[in-house]
Amino acid sequence: MHVRNEELILKELASIVGEKNATAAKHIRYAYSYDMSFVKPKLPDFVVMATTVEQIQKILTFANKEKIPVVPYTGGTNIGGLTIPERGGILLDLKRMDKIIKLDPEALVAVIEPGVTHAQLASALSKYNLRFGWPVGPPSSSVSSCAISHGIGGLNARYGLQSQEITSMEVVLPTGELVRAGSCAINPDAWHSVLPMPQMDGLFKGWLGGTGVVTKLGINVHHTPPILKIFTVSCDNVEDMYSYMLNLSNYEICDDLTGVSWWLAQVPIPYPYKPKPDSDPEWFSYATTYSFTEKEREAREEIWGMVLKEEQKKGTSIKETHYPEEALKARTQLPSQIVGTTKNYCKQGGGGISWPGTFTPANKWAPVYNKWKEILTGHNLSPSVRMSMYRGVHYGMLRAMIPFNKQSAEETENARRAIVECLKADLDGGGMPYKPPVDFATEINKRAHPGYLMLLKKIKKLLDPNDIMNPGKLGI
Amino acid sequence: MKWNISKLKDLEHKIWRCTACGTCKVAYDYGPPTKSGEICPAGVEFGFEGFMSAKGKIAFARGILSGELEWDDELLDAIYKCNVCAGCANQCELDHKPYIPEIIEAMRRKAVEDGAGPMPTQKVIAQSMRDYDNPYQGPRRVRTDWTRPFKKAKQPIKDINKESAPMLFYVGCTGAYNLPVRDVPVATASIFQKLGLDFGILGEEEICCGSTLMRIGDAEGFKRAAESNLEKFKWLHENRGVNNIVTSCAGCYRAIKKDYTMCEDNDRMLEGITVIHTAELLNNLYKEGTLKLTGNLPWKVTYHDPCHTGRHLNKFKFDEDGSVAWKDAYLETSEEDCLYDIPRELLKAIPDIEFTEMDRIRANSYCCGGGGGVMTGYGDWATKNASLRIEEGMNTGAEHMVSICPFCHYNLNQGAQRIGSEMKLYDLTELIDRVL
Repeated sequence: MHVRNEELILKELASIVGEKNATAAKHIRYAYSYDMSFVKPKLPDFVVMATTVEQIQKILTFANKEKIPVVPYTGGTNIGGLTIPERGGILLDLKRMDKIIKLDPEALVAVIEPGVTHAQLASALSKYNLRFGWPVGPPSSSVSSCAISHGIGGLNARYGLQSQEITSMEVVLPTGELVRAGSCAINPDAWHSVLPMPQMDGLFKGWLGGTGVVTKLGINVHHTPPILKIFTVSCDNVEDMYSYMLNLSNYEICDDLTGVSWWLAQVPIPYPYKPKPDSDPEWFSYATTYSFTEKEREAREEIWGMVLKEEQKKGTSIKETHYPEEALKARTQLPSQIVGTTKNYCKQGGGGISWPGTFTPANKWAPVYNKWKEILTGHNLSPSVRMSMYRGVHYGMLRAMIPFNKQSAEETENARRAIVECLKADLDGGGMPYKPPVDFATEINKRAHPGYLMLLKKIKKLLDPNDIMNPGKLGI
Repeated sequence: MKWNISKLKDLEHKIWRCTACGTCKVAYDYGPPTKSGEICPAGVEFGFEGFMSAKGKIAFARGILSGELEWDDELLDAIYKCNVCAGCANQCELDHKPYIPEIIEAMRRKAVEDGAGPMPTQKVIAQSMRDYDNPYQGPRRVRTDWTRPFKKAKQPIKDINKESAPMLFYVGCTGAYNLPVRDVPVATASIFQKLGLDFGILGEEEICCGSTLMRIGDAEGFKRAAESNLEKFKWLHENRGVNNIVTSCAGCYRAIKKDYTMCEDNDRMLEGITVIHTAELLNNLYKEGTLKLTGNLPWKVTYHDPCHTGRHLNKFKFDEDGSVAWKDAYLETSEEDCLYDIPRELLKAIPDIEFTEMDRIRANSYCCGGGGGVMTGYGDWATKNASLRIEEGMNTGAEHMVSICPFCHYNLNQGAQRIGSEMKLYDLTELIDRVL
């Protein structure tokens, strides 16, 4: 960028957010240039911290006029390089917009700003014995960013994705206009539902910040039943685990129904790959259930016992098992610093973690896992895979958390190659990556129906005519 | 004496253990009930990720080591805008966790070595240390001004340079030179006298522990002060019968207990000497029955955990030979040296006192904002941050805040004045002295 231009742009940005909240200093930009993923570091040209919706409108209006890229940023905790600027521009840090605007414990709706963290929301909800589907991410991560990026959490089996908890939203378009989707569009105080109107919130979910900046988000929250019961089983192969999870999910008794491979059950994930002891099962599952009464818990237990017997009768290797205590805590006491610092993910690798994180039909989990195992062990990486059912539907999350030594460019590239190869195998099996890095977006688009790509481009062009919002991330 | 003080390059491997996950940015306790809050004073004030917690400082360290970042005024300013409070380190679970304060200070040491650091106002500290052996530019004779009430009452404090005593009361520069904080050494000595303890002070011969220099990256200056002290302590042990060094200063306590151990001769020089904080000594005496709290104090108080008597004293367990996890893996933290329970036990033992807790306490205590050279380098910000802590204390309904650190004492009282609060920070010794 031309020096003179840089000075003028910074001056304009400072006039909007104040001098203390706008900078082009290299050391500040540097701290936004990388994350924990394999994505190559790239610097923004400017960093601004907005504190009001009006400031965001002014920034986007200016950026759109000058055709300067804008990358919205909250916690920077994703593992797909989603806020690493592909084309420089303005890094729009939203962490100071961190108000819980409304928390209605009767209507079970919260309205939050983008900088509200999971830790902050958990603390506020705990006063009312309420909960949200906490992800296995850092407590400092943004609730809003996770939800609009189709993140997952501990209530997925019951309520679905975080994005399915969204009830309304306010958004600043790339052109600076303020828009609303859902009930808050009709009545500014009504944040209860995105239905029955056209689901325009879909224009801003899963777009990786490519269509606007969500400035307020309504989400559903839920009561916390007092009785926790976790059913844990293990088995020798992924096919048996799939069979058990499919069976149990039919009864819809779980908040979270997850299977993890032996490598993911370790704290931390072994890096580099180490073979599983022959005597250990290859798969574990935890099925988290919450009940209001003992009778309810007993009913859940009865169903689970029935499923277990059925699976054993089929001749599968499923058996009730002990799940490592720390790992179990890490997956139920959320938000968690244990998984938050990715202690159980990348502690042994050092500095780096990425994933093929996908939504995959459940009946493809086993073949894809077996393929992933081959690919990952071939790269001397652990097949640390998780499978989770979504809302009693027979598809869900299939992902492998891959730690690597980020200090080494060679080991980072090895992980990248393995992960992209895994992603291709999953796409071939009908899976779809979520929060995808650009490498994944390219693979998706190669396979996409021409009509999908045309529509994607049309909508993007309509909302962001100058392609300023997080450009390059969608691979189009 | 030989020292093992890390250079930034020595810590490079640790620096690369950080994932940039950002868990360090928020004080968080699952509970239940779940609690969360801000933990990084620099993050609160300046906001950009580089300022924020360990994640940001590690980014600077990586950039400096790789050569992608070069010293300029703004970078220098950014690495000194940190209290090195270790609040961020308390949230982290990765292998570099134990080294986070060390990494930040190693960056500052590199800045000093490269001729860039410290900040101009902090250079005054270094000069003052050379001229006066204290960071306050105070003449040596002023160091004993706080003892005047004792002389006046004809209860002079023993000069340990001349007379033997088993206990050295190491006063520290802040208590001696910082006028609003002089009540701390006065109360400490008063308690010791009331208890009939045989103790002495170095008086004008006392020199700074060197903590402030270490915090701003002046390792050479720190070593000079520390070596001088170690030699003095050894002399006192051999010639004056000193076997206990007690201090009411959290900074001195941290420096002697922790920073001095980086000297290979530390164990030899301190052989036969126990270093103890006044709060710990008083708690021991209370438990023995020697300290009897007979008066009453119908105050409603809350307690502020200083960083230097808290999480800075964490002990970390590593996998030294790789037999548990892998070589040098961080395994767990022990808080056994941290003074969390002791001051609370003493406070609660004071008749009629009503004790209430703030949200961010113990290992998640929110720094007063004065440490890490910030009070000297960025006085306004230090006071502003202290106001935030005072407000947190006021929200508990407490009338006053208590602590065991002269730095916190000064800064938090400044913070209270800034917002016109009637809340006052007292040292624990001031309360104990009133009821003894």
